[in-house]
This record gives sequence, C-alpha cells and structure tokens, in this order.
Amino acid sequence: MAIPFRAHALLLTTAMMVAAAPAVAQDKSKLDEVLERGHLVLGTGSTNAPWHFKSVDDKLQGFDVDMGRIIAKSLFGDPDKIEYVTQSSDARIPNITTGKVDVTCQFMTVTGERAQQVAFTIPYYREGVGLMLKADGDYADYEALKEAGSSVTVSVLQNVYAEDMVHAALPEASVDQYESVDLIYQALESGRSDAVATDQSSLAWYMTQNPDRYRDAGYGWNPQSYSCAVARGDQDWLNFVNTALHEAMTGVEFNFYADSFKTWFGKDLQPPQIGFPVEYK
Amino acid sequence: MNEFLAFLDQVWLARFVILRGLGLTVSISLLAIALGSVLGVLVGLALTYGNRPLRFVVRAYTDFIRGTPVLVLVLASFYILSTIGIELNAFQAGVFALAVFCSSHVGEIVRGALQAIPPGQTEAAKAIGLTFSQTFTSVLWPQALRQMLPTWVNTAAEMVKASTLLSVIGVAELLLRTQEIISRNFMSLEFYFLAGLLYFAINYAIERFGKYVERKVSVPS
Repeated sequence: MAIPFRAHALLLTTAMMVAAAPAVAQDKSKLDEVLERGHLVLGTGSTNAPWHFKSVDDKLQGFDVDMGRIIAKSLFGDPDKIEYVTQSSDARIPNITTGKVDVTCQFMTVTGERAQQVAFTIPYYREGVGLMLKADGDYADYEALKEAGSSVTVSVLQNVYAEDMVHAALPEASVDQYESVDLIYQALESGRSDAVATDQSSLAWYMTQNPDRYRDAGYGWNPQSYSCAVARGDQDWLNFVNTALHEAMTGVEFNFYADSFKTWFGKDLQPPQIGFPVEYK
Repeated sequence: MNEFLAFLDQVWLARFVILRGLGLTVSISLLAIALGSVLGVLVGLALTYGNRPLRFVVRAYTDFIRGTPVLVLVLASFYILSTIGIELNAFQAGVFALAVFCSSHVGEIVRGALQAIPPGQTEAAKAIGLTFSQTFTSVLWPQALRQMLPTWVNTAAEMVKASTLLSVIGVAELLLRTQEIISRNFMSLEFYFLAGLLYFAINYAIERFGKYVERKVSVPS
C-alpha cells in the first residue's frame, strides 16, 4: 500500500515521539525526585509485629520499617529521613501505582500476579511456616511431633487453607483453628494444643518476647519471599533500592541489617564470607 | 484478676494513643456530620423546590451516592480524585467521602420532612400574604426540623461507625489505633471490647444530645 510521503513522515515522527516518551520519562527518575525532596516516602503498615508496628511511645518500628531506614540511609546518610504512609495491606499496590509512596516495604509476598502490577526489589526475607513448642512440653522437636501422629493438636489462625497447611508437615495431627493470634498462643500455653503453626517471623518475635518459655520445632515449609516494591517502569529507582538492600545483606550496611534481624527475630547472622562474593556460590 | 490488672496496665501505657485515636474519630465524625448536614440541607431543598433539571441532577447525585458502599466512596476519594489532580491527604479524603455520604442521607431526610408538611399550610401562609422565604423560615422549616431530628441523629451515629472505614486508607482513628495496640500486646478481645465501649459512648452522647435538642424545640402541648 502506497502511503503518500507526507503522511508517511508524519507517522514516522509520531512513532518516534511515542518511542522517545519513555526515554524522556526515564530522564527524571524517582531517584532524583526523592533526592531533591530530601526525604523518602515509605509505605508500610502499623499493625503487625515484628514487621511494622507501634512502640509504646507511638513510634513506628519493625523489620519492614528498618528496610525503609536502610534505603533512607543510602539516600541521605540518615535513616530517619522518612515520611511514613501507614496503609492497610489492601492499599499496598494502589498506593504504589498512584504514586502516593516512593517504595513500599510491608511483608509483601512476591507473586507472579503482583509482579505484573508493581516492580519487586530483591527479597530481604524468606518467610515460611514454622512450629513452636513449649520449652518444657512433651515433644522435643518436629520429628517427635511427626511420630506422635494423631495425638498431636496444632493451633493455627483460622483460614481456608489452615488444615492443608498443617497437614503438609504433620499429616495426622488434629488442627484447632482460632480467630486471633493471641488465642493460638494461649492454646499452647494452656495445654489445649501441643504446637502452634504460623509464620516463622511471628514465632521468632514471640519467642524473643518470652525468652526460654518456648522453642522452635526446627522445621519450616511453605516458603515465600518478602520484597519491597516500587512503581513499574523506573529501572533507575528500582536499581537504587536493590543496591541499598543488597549491600545491607552482603556489604557495607550488613551490621544495620544484622542488628535489625537480631532485634526482631532474635537470631545472630554470620557476616558474609570475605573474598569471593557469596552471591555467586 | 491478674489478667485484668495486666490489661489495665496496657491501657494505661496506651492511654495517649487511645485518646488521640478517640480525638481523631470524634473530629472526623463531627466534621463529616457538619459538612454533610449543610450540604444535605441544600440537597433536600433542591429536591423539594428545585426546577426540573436541577431536581434531576440532584436526584441522580443522591441515588448514586446512597447506592454506593461507604468504603467505595472512601477509596474513590483517596485514589480517583488524585488521578484528576485533586490531591487530598488521607484525612481530607476520608472526611470528604463521609460528608458526601452524609449529605445524600440528610438530603433525603430534609426532603421527606418538608414534603410531610400538609400543603394546606403553604396555602394558608400564601393567603395571609407571606412570601416564599417567609413561609419557609417561619412555617415550614421549624416544623421540618422537628420532624427530621430523630432520623438525623440516626445518620450522625452511622457516620461515627463509618469513620472506622478510614483505617483502610491509613487514617489513625480509634479502630486503627486499637489494632496497633493489639499488634503489640496481643490482647485482642480486651482492646476490641474497649474500642466498642468508646464507640458506644460517642454514639450515646450523640443520642442524648439529639434528645436534648428535641426537648428544647418541641412545641409545648
């Protein structure tokens, strides 16, 4: 089909302009915007210990909050230059896509579906389900629970998948579902259940709060990755946040990350091996 | 007993947080009720006395708003308004959504109250030579006001309850504050009960206030 020259040129110019548009947008990355503004706008929640919750004196704290502080520190050399946007879990993705936050760190499980809507950073934690036992209870560890078979009762949070989740690890155990977190712990404490099954991070936090009264059964399953997330289409900003998180787990800010890990999960991390980068092993 | 003392201890530790949440809930509710009532009276007048095109537009507005869940209105004010360049923070967006919701209900209440007054009264007012605005201010409005008070109190209580939905967009009102406290000390039943009690206290105060005004304005018989 012969297109008149002038129309052709017009089409070409339009096509070039459309193609150039993203490049123009890339010129001004979120990174520059944040640096100019002088503080980071971090989206996170305020109702889930040890991830993001309020201290007695009403300060936001937790592992997610510390990830934001790591990013702020790499931006400004000051982890406190953060404006928090507290949001419910449902608001995580909308607040990113409508630009109400620069980055969200809110125990966000990486899934393929979500990755189509926002850009995930590298993971900063691997979550999984664990089992918590009483320190002076009848069962020593996961093996003992498994051997005991159907005489074991496990308390879990009420959920459609609760039975399946527990049976994936303990096929014969009976499952008691409770409506809130405090009740699953109370069931264990009062002897109505022999073990609590829930996120390992929650268990770790609870054990840190109540030292020597409970122990981890030493088995984890149902892995999922927690990542921060930023808006799609800004590779520069994504790279920056990735770099900040990566260096906190393997490089100059390792102590910041390790201190935070110790505070919220009660475990000491070994520094990454010096020499050949651990990432390529 | 010990558990109760532990609960009281936690309440004491969180007293300022609870009070701040309570304060925010009360201010959101009062703002929404006040703005919504002012707007609602205008809506009601337009529905009753407006010309046909105005009535049509306002009727569409009230039906649309009343048919939409408050949560949707809250989310829309927060997310959709910002895409058309109106930047409201979470608090403003929340108050706006509640006020709009309130206005549609108050509008209907006002319309109902005005239309319940027998037309004979307007005719009588005309007969003794009152203008429309005189008729309205000294004949219709005082009667309508008495008619609508109980339902208005009802709507006001609804607004207090709807304010809990603002926690979704991160407004730290009483419910979100309660959830924050529970996430720290795991005392969910106790603190939700306390929150329930506080909401009841707010609504009870509104109800008493409504009753007081009703007594004040009632025609001595």
